[in-house]
Amino acid sequence: MVTTTSSRTPLSSPMETPADTPASRTFKVSSVPSEDDRADTLIEIKDFDFYYGTKQALFDINLKLDDKRVTAFIGPSGCGKSTLLRCLNRMNDLIDGTRITRGGVKVRGVDIYGRDVDSIELRKRVGMVFQKSNPFPKSIYENIVYGLRIQGVKSKARLDEVVEKSLRGAALWDEVKDRLHESGLSLSGGQQQRLCIARTIAVEPEVILMDEPCSALDPIATAKVEELIHELKKQFTIIIVTHSMQQAARCSDKTAFFYMGKLIEYADTRTIFMNPANAQTEAYVSGRFG
Amino acid sequence: MPSDVQPVSPDAVPAKPFAVRKARTRFFGLTFDECIRVFFGGNAFVAVIVLALITFFLFREGSAFFGQNRESLRVYRQAGLEYIDIIRQQEADHTALTRYLFAIRMKVVATLREERGAVIQADLEAAKNAVQQLAGAEGGATSTTLVSARARLAEAQKADAALGASINGELAVFDTFAERYSDTVLPVRGLVSDLGEIATGIKSRYIENEDYKVARSQFIQAGKQGEADAIQLREIDFKTEVAAITGILPAYQQINGEFTAALQETVRELPVLPVASLQPRLDRFKVLTQDYVAMFPGIEARLKAWDPLTPVTWSKSFSSFIFGREWLTASFWQDWYGVVPLFVGSLVISLIALIIAVPLGVCAAIYINQVAGPREQKLVKPAIEFISAIPSVVLGFFGIAVLGQTLRALSQFESLSWIPGFPYSERLNALTAGVLLALIAVPTIFTLAEDAINNVPRAFKEASFALGASRLQTIVRIVVPAALSGIVSAVLLGLGRVMGETMVVLLCAGNRIAIPDFTAGLAVAVQPVHTMTGIIAQEMGEVARGGIHYRALFVVGLVLFFIALLLNYLAQKIVRKYRISVG
Amino acid sequence: MSTPAHPFASRPTAGRKFENATFWFFRVATYIILLAGLAVFGDIILKGSSTVFGAFKSTEHFPYVTNTFLSEAPETLYVFEDGGVKREMGDTEYRAYRESRIASALAAGEPAPQFKSESYVYSAGGIWPCIVGTVLLVVGSMAIALTLGVASAIFLSEYAKDGAFVRFVRLAILNLAGVPSIVFGLFGFGMFVIFFDWNVSLLAGWFTLAFMVLPVVITASEEALKAVPQGFREGSLALGATKWQTIRSNVLPYALPGILTSSILGIARVAGETAPIMFTAAYVVRDKLPWDVEKVSDFFFQGVMALPYHIYVVSSKIPQNEYTSRVQYGTAFVFLGIVALIALASILLRNNLRGRYKW
Repeated sequence: MVTTTSSRTPLSSPMETPADTPASRTFKVSSVPSEDDRADTLIEIKDFDFYYGTKQALFDINLKLDDKRVTAFIGPSGCGKSTLLRCLNRMNDLIDGTRITRGGVKVRGVDIYGRDVDSIELRKRVGMVFQKSNPFPKSIYENIVYGLRIQGVKSKARLDEVVEKSLRGAALWDEVKDRLHESGLSLSGGQQQRLCIARTIAVEPEVILMDEPCSALDPIATAKVEELIHELKKQFTIIIVTHSMQQAARCSDKTAFFYMGKLIEYADTRTIFMNPANAQTEAYVSGRFG
Repeated sequence: MPSDVQPVSPDAVPAKPFAVRKARTRFFGLTFDECIRVFFGGNAFVAVIVLALITFFLFREGSAFFGQNRESLRVYRQAGLEYIDIIRQQEADHTALTRYLFAIRMKVVATLREERGAVIQADLEAAKNAVQQLAGAEGGATSTTLVSARARLAEAQKADAALGASINGELAVFDTFAERYSDTVLPVRGLVSDLGEIATGIKSRYIENEDYKVARSQFIQAGKQGEADAIQLREIDFKTEVAAITGILPAYQQINGEFTAALQETVRELPVLPVASLQPRLDRFKVLTQDYVAMFPGIEARLKAWDPLTPVTWSKSFSSFIFGREWLTASFWQDWYGVVPLFVGSLVISLIALIIAVPLGVCAAIYINQVAGPREQKLVKPAIEFISAIPSVVLGFFGIAVLGQTLRALSQFESLSWIPGFPYSERLNALTAGVLLALIAVPTIFTLAEDAINNVPRAFKEASFALGASRLQTIVRIVVPAALSGIVSAVLLGLGRVMGETMVVLLCAGNRIAIPDFTAGLAVAVQPVHTMTGIIAQEMGEVARGGIHYRALFVVGLVLFFIALLLNYLAQKIVRKYRISVG
Repeated sequence: MSTPAHPFASRPTAGRKFENATFWFFRVATYIILLAGLAVFGDIILKGSSTVFGAFKSTEHFPYVTNTFLSEAPETLYVFEDGGVKREMGDTEYRAYRESRIASALAAGEPAPQFKSESYVYSAGGIWPCIVGTVLLVVGSMAIALTLGVASAIFLSEYAKDGAFVRFVRLAILNLAGVPSIVFGLFGFGMFVIFFDWNVSLLAGWFTLAFMVLPVVITASEEALKAVPQGFREGSLALGATKWQTIRSNVLPYALPGILTSSILGIARVAGETAPIMFTAAYVVRDKLPWDVEKVSDFFFQGVMALPYHIYVVSSKIPQNEYTSRVQYGTAFVFLGIVALIALASILLRNNLRGRYKW
């Protein structure tokens, strides 16, 4: 088990005086849910400060993410959006020298950095799809059932059922149903990425984190993945980090804009792109920097 | 098709509790995963443990050496051996002076032969050759010519002998002088030999008694009181025993007085040498003798002041190892465990190896990385790495079987006699071992240096080329300086390998335990030496466990161990300190 | 005066010549190294191969051909003259021959013939027990070294976070790699042979060699583990696998070929070292083969003959002459052949593997 002691700062730790980061205070108002919000809050990030070694990567993040919605994180490179994403299922625990100095993350009201939380259990509930598709060098079938096997599922019937379900869920079934026992590496880039998504949904998480899932794909494969995201949001909460503003606009319900480790603006996607409250956001979405 | 997607986790149970609490089996408060982590961590810790154990066991077996050595030195002192060694040293100095005389004689003979015998020598050679040729060509030459040639040879030999006799005749006065001079020491020598017998007697009785004591305590431990009582212990009272030795001081003083007088008498009138140019050497000899005589009061004072009961300090025990110039074991007189000859031997061999290996290894590294084409690179690099696979014992065997003879034969070529030390006659010596060790060091140095050169950023080189520098200029001014720390650490690690190598030096270094004679200049390279690694391998199998000799070998191992650590540390430090930081 | 056609035309300047000369010098240095290596190999192969290939004999039963040098134990060689013919025979053969000659002479009523023989120890027969001993030493010590080494490497590459403990461990590994082999021999002697009272035994040799080769195995294994893409680990962890599940099913299987091939280099080192086994495991001569034991436990507590030590013995303890060189060169040839093959396999496999595993 990998847990750094320092990252176990409980959410209930005494809050610091809000005066220290005036810049982010200004935009706090934008993180208030917009009027057509009928979804429940699933993830709540509160006063979140995060360090890589001595370098602060995230500054005082406050964010509420909705259940069964697609939320996009956008911003220029190095703005902290991927870092925040990896904090949501504690993948950052695996990197040396990372620590949380203030604030925390609650999923369904549970502080995921709490002392009694098992990051393994957490990751079963909060899955992740990576920027570079990383199918294991096993067969397609084995890739899908990997998550179940490590949970101890042995029934062949159950595994077969899940494989089909997941591959259908990832819109890959028709393409690969005749070659389930070929290597996952034999698939094309877009298929590999959908295989990774299928692998993730096979363990039935509640949340799927996607870290620039289409950045290595061609436009046609990208379109397929985006289509898939649309379907998946019926059952899963999806948080997607993307470089492409068009992609954020196309598939997300809400969008958060980050800059220099700070959350600048968070609102309905439509608002962010049509009518951003902040000048920096406007500059970014209109392509003037980043 | 997205339309026929089946719901994977049905919405029907939205309020599924977000169960991420830990609920795992624990062993000793650790989860299964943490146990595995601890297991692997424990394995990694084995490296640390092994290092600690090596240190511990070397110390455990070696540390008692200094106590035992102190005891040995105590006996050496109390049995009077040390006392006698003071006089022995006086005698040895006299022998050295006699040798000096002899060297003068040799030089005189050589000079005279050169002056007068040139013609005779030429005749002799010519006659010898003629006889050989005639005898070799069977039937080609008539027997009469052969007979006449033989007669000429006999004549030439006679002339040669006559010359020798005449030279000896001229040196007759000198020889008498030399003989008188060397005889002056005889009374002292007699005294030393008498005293020596007494002292070794005391020592051996003491050791015998100690052995009895051990046997007795073993009997008592085994509960055999009767047998223990049967052993008669005879405690040695050093003070009274040694009085028999120190008691001769007046006699010694008298002998010494006579000795002094005899020496001064002898050198008052120096003989005249037939070669005038060598006369100053004889004058120098007189001065040396007077200096020698002037030391006598000091020796007497030391003898007078000598006290067998002066305790032997720990530092004495320690320094007699670290700075001891003699490694002498199984001696009837006194065993000495001085690491200096072994250390110097290791050092000489390592230096020879590095002198050969560093230029070769570094040049090859530069060539392969910077000059050679990709195909050559692909072939040569593994080939050189492959050389490191030759087991050292095979190299040692190669040295004994082939290289030793080859190098000696090479040294006897006249055209190579300008090389210091050539020609030589000892087949196994520091040079043979050094050449083979170079072959061991080369792959290490090559691989690491090539790595270091390879790590020089491309940008450096490109910038240099862009300024119009040639390849050689770029290599000399940019690449090598940038890789220098890596190269230096490669050389240090190569030195570590060479110092720690055992089998080659054991088989090929000649194994003579003495500090090589550095007055020979570079010719020191062809002297046989012994090394630290070699002595352990050679003597460990033959020593009694727990004895002082056994422990001394462990201390040598300890010295080797720390040298290895030091070299390693230096290599790492250099690499870390001068590492190029890019980006 | 002919002027160059354009300012960039190449001119043979002194500097250019000097550069070429220098490069030639470097090239010569490189090939001197190769020649030196070749000389050693060539000498031993030329003079040693005849011993091995000249020792084939046909047999009555399967496998119909045998190599006496590889399959027999060392014997003393007797050189003697009988009836004006110079003969060389191994110990057993010589005894039988003498008996029969004496018997036949007595039967014919002649005086018993006198043999004036010179004897050379270990110079007849073969090296079978040494081969067996070396194989046993290598197998046992590599088993120990791989277990410890791979586990250490897993810790260092998968679990360890940069900290005092890990720095300490790495420092220890680095320093352990520089410790001279004779010091390992002393250590093994002090700890296993004397302190544990295992005497000169296989077990003592195994542990001594295993500890000596540990740094090689750890470094090789860590390199192989590091070569497994991070994505395999992240992908598995993101599915809720535990660390150990991830390593077992998604890291180790892909690192294993690399670990094994790189560790072959360790085998070459273990097989080639003499100093560590001199006082811990090697016997000069032993009549029994290792499996001739009464109890199973005796197997582990027996010393063995080993090829490198045998070479040391035959090259230093017996004179160099025409009668002894057969066994000297033969042993060196077999030993060098084995070690060189292992090393070659390691180098080739490593290069091959580096090309093949591109994820």
